[in-house]
Amino acid sequence: MSEGRARVVAWIGREILPHEADLRAWLRRAFATAGDVDDIVQETYCRLAGLSHVDHIGEPRAYLFQAARSVALEQLRRARVVRIDTVTEIDALNIELDEPSPERIAGGRRELERVRRLIAALPDRCRRIFEMRKIEGLPQREIARRMGVTENVVENESVRGLRAILAALAEGETEETAAARRPSTHDRTRKRR
Amino acid sequence: MTERESAADIEAAAARWVVRADRGDLDPAELEAWLAGDTRRQGAFVRAQAAWGLLDRGRALGVEETPQRPRVDRRGLLAGLGLAAAACVAVIVAPRLLAARYGTAVGEIRRVPLADGSLAAINTDTALEVAMKPRRREVRLDRGEAWFQVAKDAERPFVVESGPVRVRAVGTAFSVRRRDGGCEVLVTEGVVEVWSEGAGEAPRRVTAGERVFASDSAGAARPVPASLEITRELAWREGQIVLDGEAFGAAAEEFNRYNARKIVIADPALAEQKLVGWFRTNEPESFARAAAASFGARVTVRGDAILVQSVAPLAE
Repeated sequence: MSEGRARVVAWIGREILPHEADLRAWLRRAFATAGDVDDIVQETYCRLAGLSHVDHIGEPRAYLFQAARSVALEQLRRARVVRIDTVTEIDALNIELDEPSPERIAGGRRELERVRRLIAALPDRCRRIFEMRKIEGLPQREIARRMGVTENVVENESVRGLRAILAALAEGETEETAAARRPSTHDRTRKRR
Repeated sequence: MTERESAADIEAAAARWVVRADRGDLDPAELEAWLAGDTRRQGAFVRAQAAWGLLDRGRALGVEETPQRPRVDRRGLLAGLGLAAAACVAVIVAPRLLAARYGTAVGEIRRVPLADGSLAAINTDTALEVAMKPRRREVRLDRGEAWFQVAKDAERPFVVESGPVRVRAVGTAFSVRRRDGGCEVLVTEGVVEVWSEGAGEAPRRVTAGERVFASDSAGAARPVPASLEITRELAWREGQIVLDGEAFGAAAEEFNRYNARKIVIADPALAEQKLVGWFRTNEPESFARAAAASFGARVTVRGDAILVQSVAPLAE
């Protein structure tokens, strides 16, 4: 990984990931099917990945929401739908940024604490591997040797742990998001002519 | 065309690539080829990398914490202002009964901090009266709709009355909308109890993410889960109407709640067309024009009516 790229990745981890759950809740409010939201989020990260430097971004949260919004609008336009030119980018953004009041904003610090709790809650072997890799700084090969398992086992456990953490970052902690991630049950049966 | 890869599959594969890169067992060309297949893969990969890196050297494990930029908590600020306002009000009008009337005109949406620290968001064309009594916080909704974020006070329940319908909360958030013959109640946080005076039914418990209709005569129906609908239906608090597959006719009625200039759809077939989009409550004409453009219809503005009609009859 080049140094510039490494810096962008670290910035995403520090400044962006903690806001992901909020972003998803916000997107869900406007673009109601969860499948779309997952796509929008991945496309949004793709745009962030394309940044060559991040020092000019003073408000990462605002930047994230702005990027996601433009991805979402693009997807809406591609689908056959009504144009949404009645809400300007900045207007809708301001609403989210200074009045998220109805649903609370999760603080970045709280998210980090959750990740910590989550690692603590991983199955024993998985957690032990994370600790050896991340705290003790041992390479996967060495971890495999010490635990008396194959490197593939270490790899699989690591993937499992990483996915659990990604899922937790996506969900956040609000009841609303937990509820919204359940399979959608709202039916749209309307009278047809 | 092959089936589109799901976001979840991409996420799983991205996590695998990141761990393999960490293991040192990676052919960069192979990764490049995978990434090139879909922009979503590039996004998922950088996200997984960032999460993996977040764990480095225990940043998330508690060895060190990055300082977080302090953020202004508008909500705290608002609640603070509410309390300050409460203090002023108490000094000036304490001897009188603390009843306050709030009305909104058509198209008006107000946010009002109440004397007890609660917050009311009052929708278009609504009449509301708030009385802060020593043992009970009483709100009367004569007409319209309002959403309440209730400050916790176990000693003083917060009760909304609308006709015979009652909604009782201690510390929670919910909306009440008066309709013909009853009330629609949407709960966004906590639990409320809903009943109708004289219906002889036990109060219904309605929890966050549920909605219920309480009929004036028969009381509350069974609550149904509807969290996605609720967030969309409460978009009015931000002055927005969010549509996700609603019929044009129903959407037009929704706009007409907010505006003196009414949208009139000349053609019933047109009213059945489905819409997705995100609009401002106070811009019915841009909404009508956007919808018309997508259905190939025409908009004519005559006095207080925004008339939408098909250019040619829709094919049956």
